[in-house]
Amino acid sequence: MKMRRGRILPFIVAAIVIFLDTAYAQEPPLPFQSVASATSESAREILGRVRPSVIMISGFYGTNSAPAFHGTGFSVTADGAFLTNYHVVAELVTLPGKYRLEYRTNEGKTGKLQVVVVDVRHDLAVVRADDYAAPPLKIASSNPEKGERAFSVGFPLDVGLTITEGISNGLVQDSFEARLHYSGAINAGMSGGPAFDASGNVIGINVSGYFLQQLVSFLVPVDRAKSLIARASGPLPDAEMLKADVLAQVRAHSNDLLGALDGPIKTQVVGGFILPAQLAPFVDCSASGDTSSNRPVDRVRIECNGKAGIQLRPGFVVGDIHYIHTILTDSKLGSWRFANRLSAFSAASGRFGLRQHLGPFACETRAIKLKGFDANAIVCARGYRKLTGIYDFTVRVVSLSYPDRGFVSHLDLSGLEFDSGLAFVQRFLESMESQP
Amino acid sequence: MRERVTLNSPRRTLTVGRSVKADVTVDDEHVAPLHASIEITSDGRILATDLGTTNGIIVSGKRYHAARDMELAGRELQVGRTRLRVRTEHQELSPEKADLFDVAARFHDPAWLAAACLLALGAQLAYSSWLVAPQDLTATMVSLLGSMALVLALWVFVWALLSRVMRGEWSWLRHIAISAGALAIYLCVDSLFDISMYVFSLPTPDRNIAWLGAMALGCAVCLHLIHASSLGTRSSIQIAAIVALAVLAIGYWRFQRPLEREVNYIASNIRIYPAYLRLSAAQSAETYYQSLTGLRDAADKKVQAAIAEDPDPDDIRPVEGD
Repeated sequence: MKMRRGRILPFIVAAIVIFLDTAYAQEPPLPFQSVASATSESAREILGRVRPSVIMISGFYGTNSAPAFHGTGFSVTADGAFLTNYHVVAELVTLPGKYRLEYRTNEGKTGKLQVVVVDVRHDLAVVRADDYAAPPLKIASSNPEKGERAFSVGFPLDVGLTITEGISNGLVQDSFEARLHYSGAINAGMSGGPAFDASGNVIGINVSGYFLQQLVSFLVPVDRAKSLIARASGPLPDAEMLKADVLAQVRAHSNDLLGALDGPIKTQVVGGFILPAQLAPFVDCSASGDTSSNRPVDRVRIECNGKAGIQLRPGFVVGDIHYIHTILTDSKLGSWRFANRLSAFSAASGRFGLRQHLGPFACETRAIKLKGFDANAIVCARGYRKLTGIYDFTVRVVSLSYPDRGFVSHLDLSGLEFDSGLAFVQRFLESMESQP
Repeated sequence: MRERVTLNSPRRTLTVGRSVKADVTVDDEHVAPLHASIEITSDGRILATDLGTTNGIIVSGKRYHAARDMELAGRELQVGRTRLRVRTEHQELSPEKADLFDVAARFHDPAWLAAACLLALGAQLAYSSWLVAPQDLTATMVSLLGSMALVLALWVFVWALLSRVMRGEWSWLRHIAISAGALAIYLCVDSLFDISMYVFSLPTPDRNIAWLGAMALGCAVCLHLIHASSLGTRSSIQIAAIVALAVLAIGYWRFQRPLEREVNYIASNIRIYPAYLRLSAAQSAETYYQSLTGLRDAADKKVQAAIAEDPDPDDIRPVEGD
């Protein structure tokens, strides 16, 4: 038996080697051993150096000792200021008095934290500890190239301090706020943690990943944090000051968003109508249609999403644009039933929002003359409970003029100042046209 | 009032008045005790004579005082406020009118009524199925018909049972006619309302359906009660009105009120019809844009009202781990 096994084993090994060899036939021979030791060495180095400077930030509801949520932060000054994501401390800013914030170092030391300054638009915040300070991490001087190795550090889930390795894919193209694309794992709890380049300098702040996608994660480029870090040693603000600051940032975002949408509205021809198309590079549009040939009406649906919103709280996003056109062309129905079919798409509803942030809609409905056709228009506005002077708009337009073609458009705008928001609504409606 | 007076050859006159001494007594305070006399001549003419009254007699719409031997061409005489028609054996009457289709009689026959109402309801269903066709016409018809028939049957059964208990008869057909009729009329009025809103380019208010529905329910309950119970018309109407108002109030509190407080809700139940039905011209866009500036105040008021009602609505706990 021993003899036989001794004789078979070399064959198995040889077979595996041949298999591997064919699998990597086109590649130069890979020195597996040496690469693996090189990366783990580098990750180990980085982790060893930054360990005291990275803290876990936990929010506690009331006097509970169990946390409600947690994230990560890292030291940016020598006197105890730590950088993290705004969304990690959002509950403390929007619901002052309900939560308290604490840090926990890797060694287990805990203590209180206070919010110093927030940047809602870039999802950044600075918090300060009274009784803990760590050496500030070195900041990279420029954004990394596509394809450079990168690392991300944080406290994912409840598994303790973790480092993940990935590739930096440079700035995300056509995003409203600048984001670095990191092809590596960022999991819940790592938010606010630092991401490093191969030489161990901070290139960004972990912010988000796609649920159910593979290793498509995002970092806030570290240069966006520089002005915030400069204010990190300032006096501690009270709750009202923080809120006023957030409101000012929402206003600034509103202006930036509408500024980016300024100029003549880009349109496209579809189903005999000229309708707003992709309005800006950051707006993401997709179009689909019925593929079945025996349908009584041809339907084309165009949906555009700004993805520019800023998250004030979990489930509370403002400052975005979203619109859908549904274009119907009749082939068999006749005008009476075609009109009924068009009605089926004409129900309006607002972008989903919560009662604790918003008031109900106020609306104006009218049959109006647009360019070359009549339409039933409804424009609605709703205010915010706490963001004074900020409104959401919802617009629904249904064409009324033709027996065999028509469209329904929905437009949602959120978190805008009234006058500029309404001016955009007007431009949006004015851009619609019917081809003769 | 009919009175037959036989006149023989020696006697060709009869008297009309309020008194019992008159041949024809008329219970009218504007008539004198002995008001007029009517003479039938041998050749069949009818002559009226005023017996010296204050009000005189009215012939062919004209009032005559102290008239003697006025001929009644239209065989009609008015004394006081009472009109008398004189009919003699000399008169040649036209043959009776042919009864081609006695709608009124049919209408009182519950079987016909029930059939007509069910037919109307069926037509409504057919129309609404045709509207959404050809998305599986039979399936829509069957599911619509089935569910509606079930609800209707249950409703009719309850009322028929009440009839049986209170009056000893089931009156199936009558209750079917009432419920199907009320439903058909409600559906019809509702669509007509929809169409007219569209025709005149009026904004469609949200609560019409509720009002119309409550009214239809009230009418149905009232008729059911009249036919199923020993209650009088007046108390049936009262009970029906209370039921309708109660349903309306409950519906408002249960559905409409929460909707109005719902921050994502927009009342926009517009139904579109072909363009040739529109009568009133669309407004210019500029006028509309101007009216939109008022939305700021309206939205602010709604926020203020919402805050006043509930300053701190339920909060949602954040998701663990960020």
